Amino acid sequence: MSMHKVLFPCALLLLTGFSTLQERPASKTHRVEIVQMKFSPSSLSVRPGDTVLFVNLDMVTHDVTEASGKSWKSPPLAAKGSWKKVAKTSASYYCSFHPVMKGTITVK
Amino acid sequence: MKRFEKFTMKTAALFLGVFAFGSTVLAQGNPTLSDAEVASAAVTANQIDIDFAAIAREKSKDTQVLEFARTMANDHQAVIDQAVALTEKLSVTPKDNAVSQQLKADAEKTKEQLRAKSGKAFDKAYIDNEVAYHTSVIAAVKDLLIPETENAELKDLLMSVVPALEAHLEHAKMIQQKMSKK
Ligand SMILES: [Cu+2]
Repeated sequence: MSMHKVLFPCALLLLTGFSTLQERPASKTHRVEIVQMKFSPSSLSVRPGDTVLFVNLDMVTHDVTEASGKSWKSPPLAAKGSWKKVAKTSASYYCSFHPVMKGTITVK
Repeated sequence: MKRFEKFTMKTAALFLGVFAFGSTVLAQGNPTLSDAEVASAAVTANQIDIDFAAIAREKSKDTQVLEFARTMANDHQAVIDQAVALTEKLSVTPKDNAVSQQLKADAEKTKEQLRAKSGKAFDKAYIDNEVAYHTSVIAAVKDLLIPETENAELKDLLMSVVPALEAHLEHAKMIQQKMSKK
């Protein structure tokens, strides 16, 4: 086997490997405040793998429940409580204690 | 006056009672409700909805109604806890007054009517009353208690309670609509 036949794929692998690493931005943490019976911001755009941190600034207990009720749900968040989730797919969510409170996470 | 059309007679009477009291005293041009009296009225109004919820948790078998009642009990207790903590911090002792008494007297009648019902009729009466009660309490807090409050922290607390009351009202209306379709 000649040298260049081995080197070429290696170089290619190194290059693509590097570029993938460089293109992928570091995952971010986004903050959603629960305040005055609203999720704020109520719609949020994130990248796959980003973290969404929910912080309850109200005096009453809230939660964050995926809209179908089957995918994910936070525990009850008492006043000053918080909960975080890594975003993998887009989702609509609501508060199961106060179903009029709604929000969305768009993953793209 | 248009907003009164949606009220049941009873809650209209409750609200008018509270409002008439407020405007009578306002008309006299005297200092009206003290902060101690506002605090008492606020705690009373919250306690009443906890009492309604307790009756629902005893009588209803409907999951949706039971969950709503649990939220009412928890949320209104959280408001009371905040109000009590604030009055202690401010060294204010909640003082009984005509508004608190009117609220209690009306609540006793409502509780009697609720206790007399069962099954689906109870669920409907409870939710209808929650819609009416939150409507009148929102009006009383906005139009009477907040304007009467001197202390800024007590005023802030009352203002921060309004969105919760409004969310409860919307939630109750949502259940009311679902029930009417069944
Ligand atoms: Cu909530």
